[in-house]
Amino acid sequence: MIGSFASFLATSGINTNVWVVGLASAVSFAMPILFAAVGEILCERSGIVNLGVEGMLLCGVVAAFLAYDASDSAALSMVCGLLAAGALALVHAFLCITLRSNQTVSGLALVIFGAGVSNFVGEPVEGKQIEAAFTDLRIPGLHDLPVVGPVLFHQNVLVYVSVLVVISVAFYINRTRPGLALRAVGESPATADAQGISVSKVRYAHVVIGGMFAGLGGAYIVLVDGPAWNQENTTGGIGWIALALVVFASWRPGRVMFGAIAFGFALRANFTLQGAQITWFPAEVLRMMPYVLTVVMLIAVSITDVGNKLGAPAALGRPFVRDER
Amino acid sequence: MRVASIDVRLERRLAVWRGTALLVTSGSLLLALVVGGIFLKLTGHPPLDVYRELAKTAYFNWYGFTDTLGASTPLVLTGLAAAVGFKMNLYNIGAEGQLFLGGIASAWAGIAIVPGMPGPLAVLTVMFAGALGGAAWAFIPALTRAYFNTSEIVTTLMFNFIGLYLMQYLIQGSYSYWRDPKIVGFPQGKEIVDAARLPHWNFPADSMFGIAFPPGRTQVHLGLAFGVIAALGLWVLIERTRFGYGVRVTGDSPAAARYAGISIRGSIIVVMLISGALAGLAGAGIVAGQGYKLDPGGLAVALGYTGIVVAALARSNPFAVVVVAVLLGGLRTGADNMQSAPDNLKIPVAIAGMLEGAVLICALGGELFRTHRISVRRVPSNSDREEHLSGAVGVGVSP
Repeated sequence: MIGSFASFLATSGINTNVWVVGLASAVSFAMPILFAAVGEILCERSGIVNLGVEGMLLCGVVAAFLAYDASDSAALSMVCGLLAAGALALVHAFLCITLRSNQTVSGLALVIFGAGVSNFVGEPVEGKQIEAAFTDLRIPGLHDLPVVGPVLFHQNVLVYVSVLVVISVAFYINRTRPGLALRAVGESPATADAQGISVSKVRYAHVVIGGMFAGLGGAYIVLVDGPAWNQENTTGGIGWIALALVVFASWRPGRVMFGAIAFGFALRANFTLQGAQITWFPAEVLRMMPYVLTVVMLIAVSITDVGNKLGAPAALGRPFVRDER
Repeated sequence: MRVASIDVRLERRLAVWRGTALLVTSGSLLLALVVGGIFLKLTGHPPLDVYRELAKTAYFNWYGFTDTLGASTPLVLTGLAAAVGFKMNLYNIGAEGQLFLGGIASAWAGIAIVPGMPGPLAVLTVMFAGALGGAAWAFIPALTRAYFNTSEIVTTLMFNFIGLYLMQYLIQGSYSYWRDPKIVGFPQGKEIVDAARLPHWNFPADSMFGIAFPPGRTQVHLGLAFGVIAALGLWVLIERTRFGYGVRVTGDSPAAARYAGISIRGSIIVVMLISGALAGLAGAGIVAGQGYKLDPGGLAVALGYTGIVVAALARSNPFAVVVVAVLLGGLRTGADNMQSAPDNLKIPVAIAGMLEGAVLICALGGELFRTHRISVRRVPSNSDREEHLSGAVGVGVSP
């Protein structure tokens, strides 16, 4: 498909190179969304909605940034990103599982708190620029293929890791014992409970691990893009896009990957069109595109969702209380 | 009887004492301050001194307190916007974007249609335009939620970003009707006419009620009156009308509402539009009361998101919204004023956002203790177990 796309571009007389670069950077930009969405799938499959993805991403970004700034160690930076986002997810787990709080409000609280904390601790390093830790790797023999080469085989190491992550998460959910327990808890906690599965343990574990995936996405933003820390625009709402993507992908990790890349392309459209010297489109309108796309996609999905066939976990959003069943 | 283990569980309270709500709210405020204090300590600030200074500059000084009232004016309205949705379990987190659109619409009205109108009519027109703009921005999420059950959470949130970029396009990205063509440097909005501006309250020159006020103009403007009237109106609508009754029933049990023949779709759309209009009114208040022009920087300060915190802390009660808005408005004013504090007390402005989040988390966690109580039971050891077993079976049944 990509090949025919390339030949179309070649014959249409458009500068192919610009579009290939655009597509390649779309793949890279998709990664934080992908990691966050895969984490949210794990979380929601256990029956807990965590709307706090944006907050966890922000905490992951700031923790990874501060750690990398202080230590110059990519590994430590990643660990810190994971732990910070995981800690925030743990708060959500405690509120929603132990204290049976409203999951929607708790998720929103996470976003507000996460944004506040990241701005608060990030204030001293505002505007500071760091160098990207992960640079692009060329896969020998493949990277000089036309189109496919730069898009798929000339990326940073985490892009290749992400493929492994998606495959392993899909395998874990569908083909392993703990994955079966996870699905049972998300579909029918009462049945899982009767089977001797500890509903709250499974939920705690997946909410926290899901949060850590968001933290990985945050660390990616720091370690690959090497952005200047900017309080307002570091994540630009991609946490919310990740949430919508989970619905779009019917809670399946494999599908999320393609959706994420489509959004990566939309998020980069601004730069790609600039590169292609198409400037009659206002930058602000292009910047709206990913969000417009999300709304349109979500509405389209819900119109076609006759009889709730999308595959949302049956117990999604409902607390499980054995005593009050 | 020997005790083998201690069994801790939560039991639903049979009756909820009204005071418990207040107790839980103050408890969560305190806990949030402790959480904030930990972060302050970690970043090398003395928490107690910071809090004391913050409270002093925000509440216990005439300029500070009137600044706080000014800052809480939009929060009253965005708080009400979130609260009216909460009444029927609708989560409009798009107050942010609806506020932007309210700002855009009111600025347009203030430049285009108001000139020539007498003062009161001009003010009303501008505010009405703002409410209309906000409602319009809530319209698509409202329709799709009502007819296709599309999550209003995600759609309203996406509209926040769309609204933000639209506003930036109008001022920074183009020579639109809203942009002042005479200013060549930093792009700015065209000013609205004088008649449409909300009057500010000035400190009385002489002492009043035996209080000697400082001289000068305050940040308190007529928008606050719009907020209080809106709170009153919302209370009447929800608690005293047939429509409000339907909303409350739908919030408690959509099934019951359906059996009672209440139009759930209609309620969803109307409630979302009211919510959007309130948020739009907040935007209009900022344009007509503070900036006198469409100013993306002045509007995009997370007032919509804070409104959610206000509504949740106020437990969706319109009058409590006003009180909580003043409380959180003070937090913002205090954080701003701290920027001119001595070095060791100079803290990032983001302290306000962090504390808001912490308060919300703590209040949410505390909610359970309002409706439930912790019961600690000693579980007898083996020798006594037989006779208690029958009792233990009963645990599986709801209390």
